[in-house]
Amino acid sequence: MAQDESRAGTGRETREAAAERAAIAVRPGEFRQHAGGRREKVFELKGVGVSYSGAAAVKDISLDVHRNDVTALIGPSGCGKSTLLRCLNRMNDLIPGAAVEGHLLYHGEDLYGPNVDPVQVRKLIGMVFQKPNPFPKSIYDNVAFGPRILGRKENLDEAVEEALKGAALWEEVKDRLDSNAFGLSGGQQQRLCIARCIAVQPDTILMDEPCSALDPISTGKIEDLMIELKQQFSIVIVTHNMQQAARVSDRTAFLMVELDADEDNRWGRLVEYDETEKIFTNPSDKRTEDYVSGKVG
Amino acid sequence: MVEQTRVHYQEELEQLEASALGGLDLVSAALGRTLEAVEQQDVELAQQVIADDDRIDGRYLEVHQSLIALLATQSPVATDLRLISSLLHVLKNIERMGDQCVNVCKLIPLTGNEPPADEEMVRLILTMGRQTKTLISQAKRAFEERNVAMAQDLVRQDDVVDNLNRECFALALAIGDDADKREWAMTMLLGARAIERIGDNAVDIGEQVAFVVTGLFREFEDASHPNE
Repeated sequence: MAQDESRAGTGRETREAAAERAAIAVRPGEFRQHAGGRREKVFELKGVGVSYSGAAAVKDISLDVHRNDVTALIGPSGCGKSTLLRCLNRMNDLIPGAAVEGHLLYHGEDLYGPNVDPVQVRKLIGMVFQKPNPFPKSIYDNVAFGPRILGRKENLDEAVEEALKGAALWEEVKDRLDSNAFGLSGGQQQRLCIARCIAVQPDTILMDEPCSALDPISTGKIEDLMIELKQQFSIVIVTHNMQQAARVSDRTAFLMVELDADEDNRWGRLVEYDETEKIFTNPSDKRTEDYVSGKVG
Repeated sequence: MVEQTRVHYQEELEQLEASALGGLDLVSAALGRTLEAVEQQDVELAQQVIADDDRIDGRYLEVHQSLIALLATQSPVATDLRLISSLLHVLKNIERMGDQCVNVCKLIPLTGNEPPADEEMVRLILTMGRQTKTLISQAKRAFEERNVAMAQDLVRQDDVVDNLNRECFALALAIGDDADKREWAMTMLLGARAIERIGDNAVDIGEQVAFVVTGLFREFEDASHPNE
């Protein structure tokens, strides 16, 4: 821990740390065995900033994401919460001109280190998007897609069943696995996307507004599912719906928009990060209180 | 088939209700030991009841905090909202009942080692206490079963306690001229009054049962307008 702090302070790492980092390839087993501190940290962000073609989208974000927690990112539009989420599995790499600064450690290792393969990262850190995006294939093939890509040929049926059960969808689709995924309802499609995500046995699931296109009942199912899934995975969720953050998350980060003097440029800044219960009953910062009580936004 | 969602929230609410109402078991046990201390003039037992009141207070704080968190995070509405609101009331009632046991126990050292006890008055207070224990368990059951009729019946049961309290008062008035005996009787009257208040708190819990079930709050008995 002390070493991490000194590293953050100087912006450089010790030779031993660099050697250790280089020695560790991105393999799930190894990541999962890393336990540090009182609670195991999945992500450690230290002064993380993201810019698109030189324009800052978020600045100076420092927070720890703990294992088996649901961590919610909330804040008004444009506060950079989706940008921040996309940093966590290097999705911003796909956007030309995007640059990430600061330290972003995943199980203690630099997620943006030279030896890290972004594709492996996205296997370990899955993502579920706002709009359900199943492939135009059968339900079965959607879930089997990831395992097949990873070269799995045996016990594929079991893997598909397990993932669908994990996503609380099995009972609804077990008799029509060969049907096209587009025939499912929006809520079912979203759970299918979650099944597809967990079929490759990730360590962490990122969810970007996973319920904003769903009705309240489907939303309730996804929220229940998140509480089940966190037994096994760590979840980071971006949501516009403050009550959703309140209902499902263990910890909540509140980001808000900051403007420069001319009001020409805007970027997101972390205001407060704490236990969700604390954020919604007794936040430390007046700006958090005003946002969660709907007075500003 | 309608599938239930928000199962975890429902489970948490159920647990909090059980935990809050479990406070009534703690109060019932405290009252039982209070009566034993009164009967035996057992100062040590009385001290123990006083010390153990921290458990009832702790239960209050713990459940209260969790209910506030549930209000803040789960946006309860309709029956759930009424239930949480009523549990906040009930918790306060339970905490007060525990305090009344403490009040009785604090009186026991004041009556001395070999008090000039009047057997009839002790008997009345013990009868009051046992009747009040019945009210406590009935209030708990009425809440658990959402049974408004059972809750309303608490008023009738409480009248028995009130009448016993009046009998105590009459007995204290007629206790005679002996100064020590009079002091003892006055002290015991305070104890009887505290037990009587526990009964009133049980009736208040009954009113909360009616609120949870019907959505309407009204006092079963209005002390300031007794004839309405």
